[in-house]
Amino acid sequence: MASGKKDVPKIDSSELKELTDKLMTACHILDHEGVTDGYGHISVRVPGADAFVTIANVSPGCVTRDRLIMQDLDGNYLDGANTPPNEWPIHSCILRARPEIVSVAHTHSKWSTIFSVLPIKLKPMHHYGKFLSADGPPVYQGVGLVRTVERGNDLAAALGNQPAVLMRAHGDAVVGESVEQVIERTTRLAMLGEWNHLAMLHGEPKYLTAEELEAYNADQRFPMRGWEYYVSRLEEKR
Amino acid sequence: MASANSEIPAFDSGELKELKQKLVAGCHILDREGITDSFGHVSIRVPGTEAFLTIAGVSPGCATLDRLIMLDLEGHYLGGDKSSPYEWPIHALIMRARPEVMSVAHTHSRWSALFSVIRGGLRPIHMYAKFLPAGGPPIYPAAGLIGTFERGEALAATLKDANAVLLRAHGDAVVGTSLEQTIQRTIQLAFLGQLAHMAVAHGEPLYMSQDELAIFSSDPAFPARPWEYYLSRIRERHSA
Repeated sequence: MASGKKDVPKIDSSELKELTDKLMTACHILDHEGVTDGYGHISVRVPGADAFVTIANVSPGCVTRDRLIMQDLDGNYLDGANTPPNEWPIHSCILRARPEIVSVAHTHSKWSTIFSVLPIKLKPMHHYGKFLSADGPPVYQGVGLVRTVERGNDLAAALGNQPAVLMRAHGDAVVGESVEQVIERTTRLAMLGEWNHLAMLHGEPKYLTAEELEAYNADQRFPMRGWEYYVSRLEEKR
Repeated sequence: MASANSEIPAFDSGELKELKQKLVAGCHILDREGITDSFGHVSIRVPGTEAFLTIAGVSPGCATLDRLIMLDLEGHYLGGDKSSPYEWPIHALIMRARPEVMSVAHTHSRWSALFSVIRGGLRPIHMYAKFLPAGGPPIYPAAGLIGTFERGEALAATLKDANAVLLRAHGDAVVGTSLEQTIQRTIQLAFLGQLAHMAVAHGEPLYMSQDELAIFSSDPAFPARPWEYYLSRIRERHSA
């Protein structure tokens, strides 16, 4: 892994410009859509390296280029603002356990939080949940911020091969193979939580079965539609 | 009807300009009113033909005049941006089954999604529901996007002669004899869903009977009023 470090580009290099721009936009989207508050962070893996860029101890809605940090998967500082987020192990331990994952989001979404402490599960009752299993996301039961490698590994183990994990009394961690996918999944997880909450007033809703989710997953995908839309909503705000 | 197709105006002809502007405005209204999100689409029939205009693979809130497409009722491309919406059969098959329908909206409205998966249906508790049956809109039960002719036909069969249909775990499709009416009904359907949801928190509400809905239906309607209002609300966001 040490050899990976040699090739890591600088955080301000033109090579990483597009990726770091996208990361900042993603943070602003989660803020604008009401998913993150003063806390939460998103990371993106540096292509081909054992390193990632995330936001340097700043609220997602307040992130600027000079408040990005690059760390390796052991949490060592590599470049950028030298104020690592307290919960950097969420990113490093998941990125280490899941080589196919490019981006991780951690939020204190109210909808993930509520379903993390209820006996009922956050299961797909709309096809927006087609990225989840029919049984819904697993729940990490550990108490305390995920600021040690040990806790990070426990969280990664709870996530397993799933796209999202709820964190009890805390929030969620969502993963994807691109920043755009993580944003779509994180916003949809929040929508599904809200809709499941609404449905409970009427009794247990009819959930989608694994076969039905498969039917939706067999349909064509539109990975950039949501990104274009959410970016347009940011522009309106500016 | 086949003969009518020879009279379809060219996509770029001035004749279609007003329809296109109305379509874009209708899309922006559904976005502004919080009904659509990244997904959803609206269509408008080219009057007197077997063709319709809709948005070409773009979120309703991001629709512009150069991101529209014209298709015939078999889904053949007739002009405009070439990114055909995946669920074009919603529009084509409903317009084919219902010649009087001039416009169709498809949304992932949270209220339609909600009432599509709970027991009891979206039953009216407000006179805005006068375009609905007293039992609420029918529910299309199958899983999967409406990306094929067969699914579009099945959806149109569930809708039958109603003005709205819920799509289970998906959203809704709403029809009207004008685009303005379709947009108004789509917004009212969401309002009715929210109201019915709120009312259930208090116990069983007093639902309206078919006779009572008919009384409201016999009163004068003011179809231009809400269109003017909703247009005024999108001006803040969209200057087009």
